[in-house]
Amino acid sequence: MKLNEHSQNLGGRIITIQVVAFVLLAILGARLYYLQVVRGDYFSERAENQRIRLIPIPAPRGAIFDRNGKILVDSRPTFNVVLSNEPIKGIEVDDRVDEYAKGLSLEPLYVRERLVSIKKQNDFETLVLKDNASMQDIAWVESHLLEFPELRVELQPQRFYPHGTSMAHVLGYVGEISPKQLESDEYRQKGFRPGDIIGKGGLEQYYDEFLRGTPGYRKVIVDSRGRVQSEIGKVEPQSGQDLITTIDLDLQNAAEQQLAATPTKRGTIISMDPNNGEMLAMASLPSFDPNIFVQGSKTKEGRKQIAAYWQDPQRPLYNRAIQGRYPPGSTWKIPESVAGLEQGAITVAHSNLACGGGIQVGNKFTRCMGNHGSPRLDAAITHSCDGYYYRLALKLGIEGITEMVEQFDYDKVSGIDLPNEKISQTPKSWRPIVEKREGKWSDIRTVYSGIGQDTVVITPISHLRAIASVGVHGQMYVPHFMKEFKSVSPVGEEGDPNYIPGRQGFTFQHPEAKLIPMTAEQNEMIVRGMWGVVNGGGTAAAIRIPGFDIAGKTGTAQVAELGKDVGGKKDHAWFVSFAPANKPEIAVLALVENVGFGGSFAAPAVKGVYEAYLAKKGIQPQADTDEGAKQ
Amino acid sequence: MVAIIEKREIRDFDWLTTVLAIAIASFGVWQIHNALPTESYWTKQIFGLVVALIAFAIVAVSDYRRIIDAAPIIYVVGLVLLFLVLTPFGVEVNGQRAWVRLPLVGQFQPSEFAKIPTILMLAKYFGARKGGALQIREVMIGALIMAGPLGLIMLEPDIGQAITYIPIFAAVLFLSAIKYVIAGLLAVVVLVPTAWYVGVKSGKIKRYQQERVNVVLDPDSADPRGFGYHTVQSMITVGKGGLSGIRGETETSQSVLKFLPEPQTDFIFAVTAENTGFIGCVSLLLAYALLLSRLVAGAREVSDRQGMLVIMSIATAMTFQIFMNIGMTLGFLPVIGVPLPLMSAGLSAILSTFIAIGFVVSVRMRRFVN
Repeated sequence: MKLNEHSQNLGGRIITIQVVAFVLLAILGARLYYLQVVRGDYFSERAENQRIRLIPIPAPRGAIFDRNGKILVDSRPTFNVVLSNEPIKGIEVDDRVDEYAKGLSLEPLYVRERLVSIKKQNDFETLVLKDNASMQDIAWVESHLLEFPELRVELQPQRFYPHGTSMAHVLGYVGEISPKQLESDEYRQKGFRPGDIIGKGGLEQYYDEFLRGTPGYRKVIVDSRGRVQSEIGKVEPQSGQDLITTIDLDLQNAAEQQLAATPTKRGTIISMDPNNGEMLAMASLPSFDPNIFVQGSKTKEGRKQIAAYWQDPQRPLYNRAIQGRYPPGSTWKIPESVAGLEQGAITVAHSNLACGGGIQVGNKFTRCMGNHGSPRLDAAITHSCDGYYYRLALKLGIEGITEMVEQFDYDKVSGIDLPNEKISQTPKSWRPIVEKREGKWSDIRTVYSGIGQDTVVITPISHLRAIASVGVHGQMYVPHFMKEFKSVSPVGEEGDPNYIPGRQGFTFQHPEAKLIPMTAEQNEMIVRGMWGVVNGGGTAAAIRIPGFDIAGKTGTAQVAELGKDVGGKKDHAWFVSFAPANKPEIAVLALVENVGFGGSFAAPAVKGVYEAYLAKKGIQPQADTDEGAKQ
Repeated sequence: MVAIIEKREIRDFDWLTTVLAIAIASFGVWQIHNALPTESYWTKQIFGLVVALIAFAIVAVSDYRRIIDAAPIIYVVGLVLLFLVLTPFGVEVNGQRAWVRLPLVGQFQPSEFAKIPTILMLAKYFGARKGGALQIREVMIGALIMAGPLGLIMLEPDIGQAITYIPIFAAVLFLSAIKYVIAGLLAVVVLVPTAWYVGVKSGKIKRYQQERVNVVLDPDSADPRGFGYHTVQSMITVGKGGLSGIRGETETSQSVLKFLPEPQTDFIFAVTAENTGFIGCVSLLLAYALLLSRLVAGAREVSDRQGMLVIMSIATAMTFQIFMNIGMTLGFLPVIGVPLPLMSAGLSAILSTFIAIGFVVSVRMRRFVN
C-alpha cells in the first residue's frame, strides 16, 4: 500500500468500501434466491394467469323440429359487441360514453350503466354492450381497435322462433341464467356460470341438458392490454342434440287458427295420438312471442314488452293446456260413464236411469236442460242428460267418484314432458277441505260433481288423456312431445384432455300404459254414445264429417250461477273427442273460455283440426248423404 | 492528449478488467435482444458498444494525469452540457427532460457523462492534499464542486441520476480521511431522506414518484394496476425465471407481452432474470463483484492519490447504481430510473461507463510509473 505513509489507514478504508459493495451484492443475491428459487413457481403461475385467457366459443343449441322435419326452433348467428373490463380499469367512464354512444348508436345513459357495471366486475370479465350488431357497428369496432382495445365483436348464435307466438308455451324460450338459479345447488352443481343461456319454460327448459351444447374455448395469449397475441389452443364446441318432436305443424297451425277464430280468443286446443300419447298439437291463447324474451331482454322496449306480458290480466305466459284448471262440465260424463259400468252402478244390459227433468236433493231442485225420459247410457251421452248423471253420481257416491278420479289419474300430473304442469282439483282433493269447513260432504256436492261442476276443476291435458283412453279400450298413455333426440358426434380424439364424448341419439321411452279395466261391450256402449254426439243428432251434430266418424262430447261449464252467466262470465265451451270412432288415430280437445255453449264454439274448432288432419291424409270429405241417419 | 504508449504500458494494460466489462456489455446486448427481439434496441446497443470501445481505448491509452490537470475545463464543459438540457436544446423522453439534441452529435444524456468531470474535479482537488484530517473548508469546496452538476440535474428534474452522484462524494470524503468517520456515514444516511423530504416539499419529486416509493413497502396489497404495477410486474418477471430461466420462450415473455415496462433499460435485469434464471443472475452478480474487485485492487496499487480517488469513485458509483437498479427490479427499492451499468440499453450510459473504465485502465497501466 503505497499511500499508507499517511496516518489515515487508507487501505482499511478502501477495503471497507469493498466490503460494503460485496454486502450489497450479497443482499441482491439473497433476494434473488427468494424470488426465483423459493417463490419461482408462484410467480410463474401469476405470469401465466395474466397472459393466458380462455375465450369461450358458444355451442350451438340443438334445433327443434316437428314430426315431419319442419323447423320449429333454430339458432341463427348474430354478432355482439362485447366490452371487457381489463383494458378500461384505469379509464374514466366519461371518456368513453359519448364515443360509444355515437359509434354504436346507443343511448348514452345505457352506455354509462354498462360501463359502470363492467368496471365493478372481476378481471377478465366481459359484458355485452350491444347485441345484434349491424355491419356498421362491426366496422366501427374493427376500425377503432387501437383506440378502444376493450371492445370486441363476438359471434353469438341466437335462438330464433320462426313461428312466433305459435307453440310458444310448448317450446318455451331461452335466456340468461338468473342470479337466483345460480345460487341454487341444482344449477351450481352442473357448473353453470353467469351469462349462461338456459332454457326457460316449455321443451327448452324440460330438455335443456340435451338441447344445450358444450361450449368450447380458445386458449389465447394476451398482452398487458388484453390484446390477443396468439392462439395456443382451441377446443371446438359440441353442439346440442336436435330434438324431433311429435308435433304436426299443420295440425298445430290449424289449432292456432281455430282458437284465434273464437269470440274470446282465449283457451286451448290440444291433440294427441291416443295409441301412444304423442302430442300432435298444443295451442294456448293468448300467447307470447318467445323472440321478445331472447332478443328484447337487453333493450328498453323489450323489457317493457316482457313486463307487459307478466302484468297482462289475460295471462298470456300461462299454458292453459297444462296449467289452466277448468270445470269440465258435461265432458266429465265420459269418465263417469266408465266408472258407472266398471263399478257396477249400471250395466250394459240395464243402463237406463231416469232423467226426471232434474233432481230434488233436500230442499233444492237441480234441473236438467231437457226431459229425456229414462235414457240408456249411450243416449244419455249423446244428448248430455244431466238428470241421468245426477242419479249416476249418487249411485256411485263420493267414494265411487274418488275411485274414478284415481283410476283416470285426475289426482296426478299427466306426466307430459313440459315443466310446471298443474294437478287437477277433484272431489277427492276437495273432500277433506269441504268436510273440515262444512262438517260433512253433502249429497248436493256429489250431484254437482256428476256434471263436472263445483269441486271439479281439471287441466285440459289430464282430461284429454282420460278421454283418449276410452277410444283405445282403456289404454292411458303418458302424453309427450319428445319423439327423438338425434346423436351428436364426439369432439376431439379419445384420450385427449379436451375430448368431449359423442352423445347417443335416443327415442322417447314409453312408460307402460295404464289400463282402465272395461269390457268390450262397456267400451262399445260409451263410444256409441260419443259417436252419436256428432253423428247421431247429438249435441254436436253440426260438426259431422261424412266418412270420418268423430266420437266426442260437448261440455258447457258454468263459471257463474245461472242468470249471471253473461259477458265475461259466460260459460266455458268444451269439446272432447277422438276419431275415427271405432279405431281412433287422433284425439282432439278444445276449451274456449267464456264463450258459451260447447257444441256451438268448441266443437267447430275441433272440426277445423280434423279437417286439417284429413287434408293431410288426402281424404276429401264425402258428400253428406245420410245426415242424422244412425243413432 | 494521447500519450505515447510504451511497451511496458501495453504489458501492464488491464486486460482482465477490459474483457470483463466487454463480456458484461455483450451479455447485456443479448438480454436487450431477449427483451424485445423484434425491436432494434439490441442492434443500436451493439453500435453503442463499438463507439464506447473506441472511446474506451482512447481514454485508456491517454495519460490520466494530464486529463486530471485539465479537469476544470472538462468540468465546465460538463456543466454547460447539463445547462443545455434546460435550454431549447433539451429533449423530453418519456415525460422526462434529461436529454440534449445537438446538431452533428445527436441525442444524449448529459447527466450520465457529467459524472466523469465531477469525479475528475473531485479527484484533482482532494488528490492534491497532503494528508491529515479533512478540514471543514475542504469539505465545503468539495460540496461546491458537487453542487454545480447536482443542482442542474435537480432542475431537470432527474432525481434518479442526482442520487447516483451522492455516493461519489461520500466515497471521496471517506477516502480523504474525513475526521469523523461515523459522522460522514451518518451524513449519507441523513442525506437521502433529507433529499427526499426536500424533494417532496419543493414539488421536485412528483406525486407518482412518491407512490412508487410507498409501494415498495407493501407491493402485494397495492393496486396491481396502479402505482405498484411496475414493481409487481418486475417481481413476477424475476420470479418466473426460476432456477434456470425460460430458455428461449421469448414469444410469451413478460417483456414481449408488454407486462414488464421499460424492459430494455430500467428493467433489463428482470429480463435477464426471466431468461437466464437464478444461475444467470448470480453469474452476472459475480461478474460485477469480480469487476469491482479488480477496480478496488487497482486502487490499492496506484501510486498517486488522484488516481486512487478516480478509481474508487467510479467503483462506488457503479456499486451504488447496480444496487439501486437491481434493488428496484427485485421490488425492495423504489422505482427510480437508474440504468444498470453495462447492461441497460442506451448510448449515453454505455459510453460514459466505458469512458470511466477507460480511466481506470489508464490509471492502472501507469501504476508503476512515477
